[in-house]
Amino acid sequence: MDRTNSILCGFVTASLVFGPTGSAQSVTRKAPTAADWTSLAKLPDFTGVWEVGLGGGGGGRAAAPGAAPGGRGDAAAKGGGRAPAAGGAGRAGRGGGPSLTPAYAAKAQARASNSTDDAQAANCLPPGLPAIMNQPYPMEFLLTPGQVTIVIEAYSQVRHIYTDGRLLPADPDPLFYGTSVGHWEDDTLVAETVGLAQVPRGLAFPYSEKLKVAERFRLTGPDTMTIETTLIDPDAFTAPYSMGSRTLARHRSWTIAEYICEENNRNFIDDKGSAGVKLSNPLSSAK
Amino acid sequence: MLNITAAVRRTIIMAGLVVVGGTGMALAHHSYSAFEMAGTRVISGTIKKMDWTNPHTWIWIDVANDQGVVETWGIEGMSPNYLERRGWSRTTIKVGDKLSITFHPLKNGDKGGSFQSAQRPNGEVLGMTPPISDK
Repeated sequence: MDRTNSILCGFVTASLVFGPTGSAQSVTRKAPTAADWTSLAKLPDFTGVWEVGLGGGGGGRAAAPGAAPGGRGDAAAKGGGRAPAAGGAGRAGRGGGPSLTPAYAAKAQARASNSTDDAQAANCLPPGLPAIMNQPYPMEFLLTPGQVTIVIEAYSQVRHIYTDGRLLPADPDPLFYGTSVGHWEDDTLVAETVGLAQVPRGLAFPYSEKLKVAERFRLTGPDTMTIETTLIDPDAFTAPYSMGSRTLARHRSWTIAEYICEENNRNFIDDKGSAGVKLSNPLSSAK
Repeated sequence: MLNITAAVRRTIIMAGLVVVGGTGMALAHHSYSAFEMAGTRVISGTIKKMDWTNPHTWIWIDVANDQGVVETWGIEGMSPNYLERRGWSRTTIKVGDKLSITFHPLKNGDKGGSFQSAQRPNGEVLGMTPPISDK
């Protein structure tokens, strides 16, 4: 048992309550003790506000079976505008994208002419995981007993990664950011997320309800962190797909700012699904 | 305490490296397909209004056309969150300021575009550059 799991095992009251369908799961946690708070000091210091490095470029590659996430790029930045090579079942499409199973290669071809990810974002709909982790705005990490919380400035969103020893839900509700659990492997936070709905999430390829996002968070310097992201989807991909690694920079003087996308959104979607701009009616009162 | 004027002035150095309006901004909440990103246009006029708002700032500037008729143009910029970390504030551009703005025009010919840089009559350039160090 790794360090943190041993710390937190006693923290969870293992009252997994399954609903009538076996799909619901709830975990009741004990109130944290002073020892629980003290234990946090033994973890890597993820606290603070982190600038997300731009770029990445949407590369990615097929991960070696069993390999830890690694590589480069994040298709999130592309807004889903590019379809993968669809005929490459059993091999990675050129230009990025996972190796798709035959059924999902066919879906990719159909999707190539009907991508709406960008349109939805222009309407202020936040992108789901993993794209939400690659916006040009910072994120703040909060470590509390049994939980890592990521406050994402873009669209004022929040992710919760439960590190209290609970299991991934067997039948999760489909969500933008899914349901995440994590544990510590030495100094690396290893998170897994399931329950990812078919919403815009910056992926230029189709995926199934079995999509799992694996992330590894690790400090690489006093104020640098890397996040390695791998997608696993046994129905859609023939092998795990590495989205690559991004480096974040901590700014001790930064705070997370408000980002209400609907405040003055002048972008709209025309009847062809393309983003446009409204120039009428400037706000009557500026902030 | 950060000196905003000095910080903005620093952007002069980086004016040739403006990323906003290019791939940097393309990461934001919409694509830039509505704009002619391969081309730029420059307009000069007087600031009518500044929307210091999310998800984008909007600079409203009155510009005289070829016939001398004043028209209001709307120029989309990066968000306040982004700009404040690069030395801007809500008063960097004020009503009544004289500016020349370089932007990527809307493809549909409407009087608007995507901000690339601006210049004051005294030569000061306002760009949107990589983050200010907090070290």
